[in-house]
Amino acid sequence: MVGLAFKRGIDALVRVIRPTLGPLPRHVALPRATSGSPEILDNGGVIARRIYELPDLDADAGAMFLRHILWQQHERDGDGTATTAVLFQAIYNGGLAYVAAGGNAMLLRRQLEDGARLLLDEMDRQVLPVEGQEAIERVALAICGDPGLANRLGEIFDIIGEYGWFEVRTGRGRDLEREYVEGVYWEGGALSWQMLADRPKARVELENPAIFVSDLEFDEPEQLAPVLRAAAEAGHKALLIVASRISDRAMGLLAANRQAGTMLILAVRRPGASLHEAVGGLDDLAHLTGGRPLVSQARPEIDVFAAEDFGRARIAWASKDHWGIVGGRGDPRGLRAHITTLRAAYGRMTDPADRKQIRARIGKLMGGSATLWLAGATDSEVNFRKDVAERTAEAVRGALIEGALPGGGVALLACRKPLAGRLAAATGVDERASLRILLSAVEQPLRTLVSNAGHEPAAVMAALDDAGPGFGLDVVSGRIVDMARAGVLDSASVQKAAVWRAVTGAALALTTDVLVHHKNPAKEFNP
Amino acid sequence: MTENAALDFVYGMAVSQAFVEDGCCFAARTSGLFRSEDAGITWALAPQNLNLDAGLAALAVAVSPAFRTDRMVFAGVAGGVLRSLDAGHNWEAIPLPSPPPVVTCLAVSPDIEQDGYLFAGTMEDGIFRSPDRGRSWHSWNFGLLDLRCLALAASPAFAEDETLFAATETALYRSTNGGRAWRETGLPLEASPVLSLALSPAFRADGVLFAGTDAGQFQRSRDRGRTWEVLGSSALDGSINAVLLSPEYPDRHHVLVLCDDCLWLSRDDGATWVPLEGEGISAVAAPNGLGTGAFLLAGTVGGGVAHIPLAG
Repeated sequence: MVGLAFKRGIDALVRVIRPTLGPLPRHVALPRATSGSPEILDNGGVIARRIYELPDLDADAGAMFLRHILWQQHERDGDGTATTAVLFQAIYNGGLAYVAAGGNAMLLRRQLEDGARLLLDEMDRQVLPVEGQEAIERVALAICGDPGLANRLGEIFDIIGEYGWFEVRTGRGRDLEREYVEGVYWEGGALSWQMLADRPKARVELENPAIFVSDLEFDEPEQLAPVLRAAAEAGHKALLIVASRISDRAMGLLAANRQAGTMLILAVRRPGASLHEAVGGLDDLAHLTGGRPLVSQARPEIDVFAAEDFGRARIAWASKDHWGIVGGRGDPRGLRAHITTLRAAYGRMTDPADRKQIRARIGKLMGGSATLWLAGATDSEVNFRKDVAERTAEAVRGALIEGALPGGGVALLACRKPLAGRLAAATGVDERASLRILLSAVEQPLRTLVSNAGHEPAAVMAALDDAGPGFGLDVVSGRIVDMARAGVLDSASVQKAAVWRAVTGAALALTTDVLVHHKNPAKEFNP
Repeated sequence: MTENAALDFVYGMAVSQAFVEDGCCFAARTSGLFRSEDAGITWALAPQNLNLDAGLAALAVAVSPAFRTDRMVFAGVAGGVLRSLDAGHNWEAIPLPSPPPVVTCLAVSPDIEQDGYLFAGTMEDGIFRSPDRGRSWHSWNFGLLDLRCLALAASPAFAEDETLFAATETALYRSTNGGRAWRETGLPLEASPVLSLALSPAFRADGVLFAGTDAGQFQRSRDRGRTWEVLGSSALDGSINAVLLSPEYPDRHHVLVLCDDCLWLSRDDGATWVPLEGEGISAVAAPNGLGTGAFLLAGTVGGGVAHIPLAG
């Protein structure tokens, strides 16, 4: 039976991910492909990714099905993979028993998906806004379990906001350091090393520059003449040229102008690694500075370039690898409308890479960025901490956008009441089966979390039933508390996504009846 | 009404908390920062020890809320901030990071003696924050899409709620982390620019703040800036350049506004307004509240300072 084979694979995968659920997770050691030292992991998504083939081919299909769902959860939401895994297993196994007893898998699937909507509605009802450093810190702590990191992320996201541009880099020493950079910057840096050679720290800064916004390539010096002429006629003392490439001969013209001392000139590489990114970057730069972008695809006529086409900023700077502006002089109303458009696009996008790219653009336009520097005794520790910081940041963003839920599995546990209410009114056999499955499943994350923290789930469940709605086990203090009041919070977006993926994924898996294996299957490490 | 010799335009006024006893007050003028020790009867150029060129315009002035004890005064000028630690006798010029910004407004933490926080709004460069009583400055403009700052106001409970409001040309912003990041309030965008702000002395409890707009709207929020309502729209017809609340607010619902160059007083939280005597006024301070028998110090477009008594 396909279902039983799937179950073997799902159980095998969930068995290694289950210990990572909760603020006091157990770690999972996996051997590396390239060396003998094991990799220590507490992230269900990464653990799932490392397991890419079970010896039992039938079981492998079930494991890979779940693996794909967990990786989606990890990529899109940054956290909640263990919750997804535990829920998925409970629903699949419950559904499998029903189907084995003669139930209709297709009808059950429909009812389970209806039930998922009920769960999401109930979770929406419990959502609390996340505002201020303390609340953000609490959400971060629930995800990463590291008070120092949670504190830093609380401060950072209170400043940069939900769309803020945030990077994690390897630092020195043992402390977590953070750095805030005002304004916008892009990778690329100065187009010519000579422009930086005589500057302290190899960095040039221009005050009140005119900004030529383009992705053009300049081969001949004459091509730059209209730009230089327009800047000179307008009396600009500093000029930033944004371009894809400037030949050595054309660069010579700029150097001659600089040496003449009439105008400080800096040429930098246009934003974006790809053409697509470049168009977006130029659009952002144009809105920030008020300049008219000259995009090569549109075959612009540079001869008619005029002084009013320049963008303006208070400061432009460039180093070898980066360049940026501070205090763009674009129209704030136009900039606000541009950000609104990008936010709407962000909401519509489904591809994680596209979403990240557009979020980075919004974050940059909001006026600054933050870098978290973290260190460790070994490369493994550094990579582990960076991974934790990045996925916690991802979940924090979700919490800032969609709010938080009482943590510790309590929000899901509160779904028992509406489920029970619907069960009491339900008459259809499939609907009743689906509701019973979900009633059992919503307890599983809390039971697992409690067990992982070294407590007895049955005793805790009894204590919670006595305490009433909203109460849960603070596994750090070991006390039964009102989770929202105690500040034990989970990201609502993460939890809701986990529920939706687990229920719809398990419901779909239950409908699988036939497995076909390739004789020589292609190996794919990416889920 | 008495008026001394007119010099020029008065951008802002600030008075000592012990004004009734010490008569100390300051006027930010086109011709510089002026100080009076006799309740505004006579004035002298304040930062004499700096040997500044005559004509260094002062665009804003603020005294420390703990002026009685800390004697601190600050003034906004082109390129930086002037600071005095002895009630305006001696001054130091503190430049803000280059390119030199023009400081148009100041906000002082009510707890500056303890936390040292001071904020400067600028004409083109957003908002600068000093954590050490004005000695050093850094710009903090995260979330601020418009860097042309017109007005700043700190919560009376800043030490606890770290809340500030900043009005720019195109929106009103709020910070809840001591000026390190800014988010737009719920004030409709079409209401901007806001020229003046005033927070209830009981802001932490009642969440009330007022905003006067360039278009003559007198707006009130009762929920820390999330939602707004327009008050007394028929009486006020002009730019609302200043808003002052009674120190006893909300027990006494006295509100004063400077609408264009005239003063209007409301004793019912902005529902109805009565005009006060005088015109050509460009800045105002209320040294002893807005009750009957109190008086106002009014800087004028000509550069003079007038005393305006508040009748019953």
